[in-house]
Amino acid sequence: MTPSSHPPDVLLTASAAGTLDLGWHIAVATHVHGCAQCRAWIRMTESVGGALLENSPPAVMSREALRMVEARFGEAVAAPYACERPGPQTGLLADIPGLPGFVRSYPAGPWRWVAPGIHLLPIYPSAAEEARVFLLKARAGLKLLPHTHTGTEMTCVLTGSFSHDGGQFSPADFDLGDASVDHTISIDGTTDCVCLVAMSGKLRLKGFIGRLMQNFVSI
Amino acid sequence: MHNNDHGAVGAGWAELIGAVAKSADRVAFARLFQHFAPRVKAFMKRSGMSDSVAEELAQETLLMVWRKAALFDPTSAAPSGWIFTIARNLRIDALRRERRSASTEAQDIEDEFLWDAGPSAENAAATNQAHARISAAVATLPEDQLRVIELSFHQDKAHAEIAEALQIPLGTVKSRLRLAMNKLRILLDDLQ
Repeated sequence: MTPSSHPPDVLLTASAAGTLDLGWHIAVATHVHGCAQCRAWIRMTESVGGALLENSPPAVMSREALRMVEARFGEAVAAPYACERPGPQTGLLADIPGLPGFVRSYPAGPWRWVAPGIHLLPIYPSAAEEARVFLLKARAGLKLLPHTHTGTEMTCVLTGSFSHDGGQFSPADFDLGDASVDHTISIDGTTDCVCLVAMSGKLRLKGFIGRLMQNFVSI
Repeated sequence: MHNNDHGAVGAGWAELIGAVAKSADRVAFARLFQHFAPRVKAFMKRSGMSDSVAEELAQETLLMVWRKAALFDPTSAAPSGWIFTIARNLRIDALRRERRSASTEAQDIEDEFLWDAGPSAENAAATNQAHARISAAVATLPEDQLRVIELSFHQDKAHAEIAEALQIPLGTVKSRLRLAMNKLRILLDDLQ
């Protein structure tokens, strides 16, 4: 199924250009994982990057540069995947559908109770700085009171669906929220809704949970 | 800014990479090096790297081209696009190392751009011809649109910062970026 809500072009481009903080990249990549159209956009952006690179004015390399690189041709190279990688299929993220492989390899968990009907699973990517990343699981039928975001929030649906005045969001759909957004969210259907969320303000964990508890009241 | 003196598409980069892969052809490698190393270095410098760091990363990028030449698939990526992704991943790695003492493995960064569907599965349309059209389309972008696109490749800048860097009004940045993106979006739709 083709997702109906996509990240804006500028976000996809920044992701492909490699200029997004890892936390934001993870949210975009989770959508891209489930969206052939946006995968094509990413690949095209890489070609654009190549075209810009190929035709850009050169800098001056040091005189010995080529010789120095040639001298390293014989260096032993660690085979990719030679080292022990975190068991991607054994952690808490293993059973969650819709996550790209690299996200599954991150340390995560445990699930925490946040508010009635809402649980949160923190994910600890290797190098996310601006955004914290977590899964949010909300019980089917839950209604959340209106809330706003203090920073930026990127949400990608993994299972179930939710609705707000911006539409309905099903698996792989991407929702971008910022301080200008004021939503009343309801969890649709009869299955729990699990989303991957990247959110700025990682140092205000308590504040975030506090706001959830104050503002998100379950039925 | 945008010169085409090397005949972007016709330079036979894919064949040169193929020669490196097949027979460890040093002459072919030297030609790739001479064209791309100075441009990767310039790319790194535009991202704010010092001359010495940019030099090191440019050398590293071309060393990766030598080592990974056999992995290059000309049916799924343009040679320049492939080299761009190597440079991009090394830049991400360098910036992370700079900010944190801990480092991630370069392989991890590659994984961040791999999806289960694989890079080539849905990309059959992106043949050499498609890449030629992308290069041509980029070459036809007006200078002002090109500059906002280029900036977006170099830093995660809010539009307001791009406006400041280019000394143009914010509304102009947004409209130029939208114009350029629309052009690329139309091109992509054509390719699908």
